[in-house]
Amino acid sequence: MGKIKRDRDSARTIWILVGVAVTVFCIVFFSARGRFAAPISSEAVITILAPFQRAASWLGDCVQNVTANVWDILTVHEQNKMLRNEVEQLRAQNVKAEEYAAENVRLRELLDYKNLATQFDLVVARVIGRESSTWTRMIVVDRGTQHGVKKNMPVVTARGLVGVVVDAGPISSKVELILDPRSSAGALDQRSRVAGLVKGNPDDAMVPKLVDVPRNDDITEGDIIVTSGFGGIYPKGIIIGKVRLVKNDSGGLLQYALIEPAVDFRRLEDVSIIVNSREAPPEPLPKRNNGLGAGAPNNKSGGAK
Amino acid sequence: MKIFAPWFLFVVLIYVVQSSLLPTIGFNGVSADLMLLLTVSFSFLRGAKLGAMMGFLAGLLSDLATGTFFGIGIFSKMLIGFFCGMFSKRVFKEQMLLPLISVLISTAAQDLMTLIFIFLLGYRPNIFYHLHQLLLPTLFFNTVFALPVHYLVSKMCEWLRAKK
Repeated sequence: MGKIKRDRDSARTIWILVGVAVTVFCIVFFSARGRFAAPISSEAVITILAPFQRAASWLGDCVQNVTANVWDILTVHEQNKMLRNEVEQLRAQNVKAEEYAAENVRLRELLDYKNLATQFDLVVARVIGRESSTWTRMIVVDRGTQHGVKKNMPVVTARGLVGVVVDAGPISSKVELILDPRSSAGALDQRSRVAGLVKGNPDDAMVPKLVDVPRNDDITEGDIIVTSGFGGIYPKGIIIGKVRLVKNDSGGLLQYALIEPAVDFRRLEDVSIIVNSREAPPEPLPKRNNGLGAGAPNNKSGGAK
Repeated sequence: MKIFAPWFLFVVLIYVVQSSLLPTIGFNGVSADLMLLLTVSFSFLRGAKLGAMMGFLAGLLSDLATGTFFGIGIFSKMLIGFFCGMFSKRVFKEQMLLPLISVLISTAAQDLMTLIFIFLLGYRPNIFYHLHQLLLPTLFFNTVFALPVHYLVSKMCEWLRAKK
């Protein structure tokens, strides 16, 4: 009898379950289509649960904070090492970035100059060496005959005249700076058009001289000195520098001026070599400068060529 | 009522833990389904009829609180509770492997039922994504939490039996 009763109970349970399941099955579809709303609203359940959930969430946050702190303490040594490495890398990157920025400024200046000086064909070169004993007077650049560079080509920067190529190898060239006592370049006072020769100053390598200027010629401090174009090496009109001081020559007939170069030779890193100039050099000056001017026979580079 | 109230509070407490604490350790928003674990363990300990009721209660709470398609949780958990309760007569309840295996099967079954409902409702979820991103993490978390929940449920049963 008991077994029959149990079987009946079991069957009834199953039927109830099937009924509930079918009902719920239908409710799912009705509620999905908005045709059924639960008697207990979802908002009510959420409202009832909210305080508990907030408390549990707070507890969870506390636990998480504690575990995070513990983890931080446990991994602080490793983190420190990683951060140190990162700092080193960032420092190296920073140095590199500053280097690039400085290079960018220099190249931009050269590019601007290239765009402005349309009469010149320029080859940009990097200074790769200086003669160690006389570093202010000779430099080596990383462009040579393979790049169209030849002997006696003028070298400039956006600021002004640098010198002349005295020796061109296949991939590098030697440039004699205007500071070198052996160099000379035909020059003009931009204001008064007085001509002379800019030569390296053996007494002060950083301050070349404008020499062979008659005493009564008009030349004053602050005047801009540019190339005259005489001699055929340096094109006319390239800035050399400005007059810092005017002095009488010991002979009594001539005066000379100390020139502050426009180019900062101590920070010379990128230069442009003028491989072609479309402007014809001007005619030599009248007799006044005969034997003293750009065509003087004692000029090694500026005059003799 | 004396039996129902403690169990109701217990279910609410478990749900609060599931919804507030477990997400902090979840993976891609997936964590353990403690309501399912509770249903499975309760069913094995208390039989099919009460198991189905527990499934109904747990599913109802989940459906109302989470706001998904109303009824899917009730349906799946109720059936799982019933069938787990049916099997409880044929297995040795004290062994520890039981909750683990039953939880794995129940999780997969619940997921399958949910997927069927979703398909019947006209949605076409990405099965591969569903398996990979939802089912596998759920299986993992449910397996991890199966024994603690089973322990709690059995202790609760013992406590209520002793009280009675």
